[in-house]
Amino acid sequence: MHELFAEFGNKFHYYAYFAIMMIGLYAMIAKTNLLKKCIGLGIFQTAIMLFYVSIGAKEGAGIPIIDPALGTADPAAYANPLPQVLMLTAIVVSVATLGVALALIQNIHRDHGTIEEDEILQRLRGK
Amino acid sequence: MTAQLPILAVAPLLFGAFAVTVGRFLFRRANYAVAALALAASFAASVLLAIRILSQGTAIYFVGGWPPPIGISYVADPLSALMLAFVSGAALCTFLASKAEIETSYPLKNSAFFALFLLAVAGHMGIVITGDAFNLYVLIEVAALSGYAILAQGRERAMLSSLNYLFVGSLGASLYLLGMGYLYIMTGSLNMADLSGIIGQLAPDGLSGSTALAAAWGVILAGLFVKMGLFPFHSWLPAAYSFSAAPAAALVAPLTTKVMAYVLVRMILSVFTPDAAWSLPAVNTLVLILATAAILYGSFCALAQRSLRKMLCFILLSEVGYMVGGAFLGNRAALTGTIYHIFADLLMTLCLFLAASNVERGTGGRFSDMGGLFRRMPVTAAAMAMGGLSMIGVPPFCGFFSKWYLLSGAISAGSYVFAGALVLSSLVNAVLFFRIFEIGFFGTPAAPSASSGEAAHGHPEPIPLFCDEMPAARLAPLCVVAAGLVAMGLLTGEIVRLAVNAVLPPGLG
Repeated sequence: MHELFAEFGNKFHYYAYFAIMMIGLYAMIAKTNLLKKCIGLGIFQTAIMLFYVSIGAKEGAGIPIIDPALGTADPAAYANPLPQVLMLTAIVVSVATLGVALALIQNIHRDHGTIEEDEILQRLRGK
Repeated sequence: MTAQLPILAVAPLLFGAFAVTVGRFLFRRANYAVAALALAASFAASVLLAIRILSQGTAIYFVGGWPPPIGISYVADPLSALMLAFVSGAALCTFLASKAEIETSYPLKNSAFFALFLLAVAGHMGIVITGDAFNLYVLIEVAALSGYAILAQGRERAMLSSLNYLFVGSLGASLYLLGMGYLYIMTGSLNMADLSGIIGQLAPDGLSGSTALAAAWGVILAGLFVKMGLFPFHSWLPAAYSFSAAPAAALVAPLTTKVMAYVLVRMILSVFTPDAAWSLPAVNTLVLILATAAILYGSFCALAQRSLRKMLCFILLSEVGYMVGGAFLGNRAALTGTIYHIFADLLMTLCLFLAASNVERGTGGRFSDMGGLFRRMPVTAAAMAMGGLSMIGVPPFCGFFSKWYLLSGAISAGSYVFAGALVLSSLVNAVLFFRIFEIGFFGTPAAPSASSGEAAHGHPEPIPLFCDEMPAARLAPLCVVAAGLVAMGLLTGEIVRLAVNAVLPPGLG
């Protein structure tokens, strides 16, 4: 039992990101409201960002800016900056994705008067 | 100057996209010319680069002067250089052929369309040439986001289909990103050449030795399969490509699935190396089953379609199965077939989609509208016949040679089910296209909507002059692509020797 806790405690961020990712995936699959699907996609992407940032973290390490008091001799004093930088780019990408998605949803709402996917499909079938 | 060619192939598109966006307010009338010029410049640089690389060997360009593994490198090896030339050539042909279409399909938004078109092409070309695994993710999204935006304009369902494509596509790209995260944990690098060396050290006996690497490979594969629309992940593809306006489909359909298949080959060859990539028998078997299912599903759904573009979309699904299956049969002939088929299928799909957009404009895209097509639109119909024959796999066309390599690879790997699916899908393609040829030759023309006087009086329609069919500007690119199908078939030996054998590891059996 104790080992199980230790195993979970050492890797809890993996479980956390995976759980969040599945929540996002669930929203994308199960919700019919297009905006909620969008939110699901956002949760999914954020989970992956969390995963990346968590792999760059180190216990007791500070922000990755060179501190004259610490110097560069000890890399353990700084968090790994690369995953953070990568995720800045990924955040920009996900903002752009969200922007395109919202523009499309706005146009769909203008054309059909609703953002419920099943109602839109019904209207399209009715035509 | 020649050392800068890798960046010169991509840069004109980025500058062009910026120029047409600004030019919307300054030189609106010249915008089409500016965009065409950017595409032509990029095509010229790609062709020069391909000639240079094929004769002199791989060149690596350090973007911003930062050497890898710190900086991003552009790797122009024979495969990527030839792919660049094909991608930019395909984009240029589509753009030149669709001038009238763009003006009618995107009223008031021409400049936005030009900018998105250039960005989509830049994204695809960047995917092909980049040597950095994270940069690849960003460029996949650049290509995809511009793709969603241009596919969204079209008939009633286009907007919703495009939004679905966005959801599924972002999911696929995110999975790729997640897989890269695992690789980064294990290797600490994102440069592809660097990655393959470190993976070789970490897992000398194949990926089964390292759970994290195996998981990375699995997640990356899942992401790529979603992006290229392999069988269980395909549902977005036919809807997104068949409801959009014709020029968008003619751009995105030939490029996206093929470039994603190229990424798959790149992952196998340059990141994991074939030995490691094929070291998990369960993954190989599963992927082969999916590929076989994709081929059969695509072929039989294509049989059920009643409109040209929808039928082409389902054929596209089965072609994805060809490329994925060939990449996982695990021998040299099959991988050669996959790589060759990426080029061949790009040309065939381009030819058929361009022809389809002419047909849709001339007669309407449903089979019932296409009676008498060969008399009414002889050039378009001839090009479509050539594309169709190539899809079926008739010898002088390039489609035959890729199928030949794939089949011999499947038989030497002992995968008779996949070989059988290949043959069956060729037969189904024959049925599909001969049905169209039959309608086109023997079907009675539907009453033309703008009925001429003679048609109304019951006389047979006069046989149109050659140039009456469509403006020459629309037909010329189509003719070039159709001729390219034959030329590529005749040059098969050269292409395999220069571009394929040069990148396959020599020890590959």
